[in-house]
Amino acid sequence: MHTRSATLLTFALSLLGSPAVTQMSRAALVKQSDIVFIGTVTQVGAVAVSEVPASARTVVARVDQVLEKPAAVDLKPGDSVTVQTVRPGSLKAGTQATFYTTGWIFGRGVAVREVGHELGHSPVVVADQQEAVARARRDVNDAELRAHIQKAAMVVAGRVEQVRPAELAATPARPKRITEHDADWQEAIIQVEDGLKGAQAGQQVVVRFPGSHDDAWVGTPRFAVGQEGTFLLHKDSTTGSPSAMIAGLSVPAYTALHKLDVLPKQDAPHIRDLIRKP
Amino acid sequence: MWTRVITIAAALCVACAQPDQQAPPGKLAGIRVVDLVPVSLSGETWQDAEPFLALYGSNPKLMAASAFTPNPGGSASATAPIFVSDDGGDSWTLRNTLPSEAMTADITHAVGGNPPVLYAGIIKVPEFPLNELKAADFFSPATMTLQASRPDIDQPFVRATEVSSADRVYVGLNDFDAPDGRTATVDVSLNGGATFASRRIETRTTVGQNGPSIRPALAQDHTVYVAYFGWRSNTASNVTSDVVVVRDDSGATGATPFRDLVDPSDHLPGRLVATHVTIPWSNAPTLGQERIGSTLSIAVDALHSDNVYLAWADRAGTGDIYTVHVRRSTDRGATWSGDLRTLTNATDASLAVSTNGTVGLLYQQVTGSTGTGDASRWVTHLEQSRDGFATHQDVVLATAPATTPTFQFLPYIGDYNCLLTRGSEFLGIFSANNTPDSANFPQGVVYQRHVDFPTHRLLDGSGAPVAVSIDPFFFSVPVLP
Repeated sequence: MHTRSATLLTFALSLLGSPAVTQMSRAALVKQSDIVFIGTVTQVGAVAVSEVPASARTVVARVDQVLEKPAAVDLKPGDSVTVQTVRPGSLKAGTQATFYTTGWIFGRGVAVREVGHELGHSPVVVADQQEAVARARRDVNDAELRAHIQKAAMVVAGRVEQVRPAELAATPARPKRITEHDADWQEAIIQVEDGLKGAQAGQQVVVRFPGSHDDAWVGTPRFAVGQEGTFLLHKDSTTGSPSAMIAGLSVPAYTALHKLDVLPKQDAPHIRDLIRKP
Repeated sequence: MWTRVITIAAALCVACAQPDQQAPPGKLAGIRVVDLVPVSLSGETWQDAEPFLALYGSNPKLMAASAFTPNPGGSASATAPIFVSDDGGDSWTLRNTLPSEAMTADITHAVGGNPPVLYAGIIKVPEFPLNELKAADFFSPATMTLQASRPDIDQPFVRATEVSSADRVYVGLNDFDAPDGRTATVDVSLNGGATFASRRIETRTTVGQNGPSIRPALAQDHTVYVAYFGWRSNTASNVTSDVVVVRDDSGATGATPFRDLVDPSDHLPGRLVATHVTIPWSNAPTLGQERIGSTLSIAVDALHSDNVYLAWADRAGTGDIYTVHVRRSTDRGATWSGDLRTLTNATDASLAVSTNGTVGLLYQQVTGSTGTGDASRWVTHLEQSRDGFATHQDVVLATAPATTPTFQFLPYIGDYNCLLTRGSEFLGIFSANNTPDSANFPQGVVYQRHVDFPTHRLLDGSGAPVAVSIDPFFFSVPVLP
């Protein structure tokens, strides 16, 4: 049953459906969503599990196909999901739709908040909608990356030649504090092999990053000697010490604190394309 | 059964000096241990460290809990979650109601009066400002409301109580913007979090700051105790510190609060319970993959505020890495006992005193080695004593490998955990390796997430194996009568 629905769901797709859809592009829906699924409304004004508060805005949807979800979330075809809709009365029992949502309450079941939905018209195979959502996700990711590129002072492909503790100038405004959240700033010296924005091949740049394992810095990119990549670098406005030293010379210091700031080296051509076609 | 597990003090002194030789006590009746991760997040593999718990006094069914559990939606999420239970802790749901991107950098919370108002102190991601938050009903799925915010804060620690239908909220915190390096601070709200006044509680010269842990404890007669570390000097990674307790006898409602307990040595507010102790400040995996340096807890008998217990950890210098000490005062903090408990290579001490005067001590201890060998384990204990630890009952809630999983970040299990009491129960929360192995949970354990006990495997919804990680575990233990 689930396999059948997964492979050839006779499911409908229309961008002319609800007002939520007509006001928002698929890319905009994808951008705001972390759980996207094709589902069929089974109950209106109801909830799938008692731990979620029922209201005129809640509906229960049977999951026909999961298109996107975080790895930790247990959601599969056949599950019943409580959806808090954008507008009460916007969905009727029996309606099939692609639901763009964010996680709301996780317990015995999953409850989600609707960002929007696309109503369906049959017959459309699931694969078509999967591809449409995947394409929208790629567009969203590219748009986010393009924005990061525009904000970056420098974009380079290169190799980490050295990592050393940062020597930050103490300032009266920032006395040294002992705290478990201390970043323990380190400096990576990157040899630029390809200057994509604001840099030249052969140049060396200093990039500061936290050496601390503290939870406040979890997910922040780290650097290691020999590491190669494509780096989106921002002038250091975080440590309070905007300059660093290379070979006795004072140079601007940079940071790369967002996960999009450190990308594989092979992404350089794609990033160059994004720079050329803003 | 009780006779077997309540041992005499002399035997305990031997046992605490040699924790590796202490056999786990048997299974006791009435104990619950529950993994908080819900079944709908069975694929979760995060390091859910530093758990905390809040109870709603008027309704034993209602609880809130937190840990470094991220929003399942990922790093782009605008909110972070808390856990809530409406059945006394048997089941938990995760709700994204904290205004912090994906996760907080610190969080504690407490419940005030009726309705079940939840007060939280968080360090918000990003930028890491303090946010003092409030939810009129902690079961509401709405994002908590910001009451106050400022930068340069560490370890907000929230306690709350209802006085004449108005909640009083006390947030112990380390305020780096406090003058003269006297950073130990309590933000006091006497009006349900509408406004806060920052009260500085350190009166002596510091090394430039206090330690991060500033811990309030509240009694029903409005006595408020606060424990903190008076950091006096530091060399390399060691800090020389006093362990200090201040007291206010009227709920910190006066203009110069927390000055009701004076030390006889210098006549300054703040009783010096221990002086010149060595705090090993290590922001690296040092004890069973955990960092160390800020373990501190204080608890007052809510009905008899003369009776107060204090626990802290330092380096005793006997070959230990980190040692927990427990002391007691029966005269409102004026005089203190020597060590009632001395627990080698332990951390995350949390104290609570039940309404019948029984004290509970939750702590987590590395046994087998110091956390570097395969045989080393994190052992989570709840001890209870009716006689100031002359004798005590020891319950092992969990014993799990200390070397797996490998740490993702620090803290590994937490800079603190939480022990509370209500009626005839101690209620608390700790974080530990989540391998579904009954041998790891001598009192039993209930998982909400998918597990397979015979194969000791965590499973996702499709039955695929899930990697072992750190989960928060709620527990309840009957108070010794």
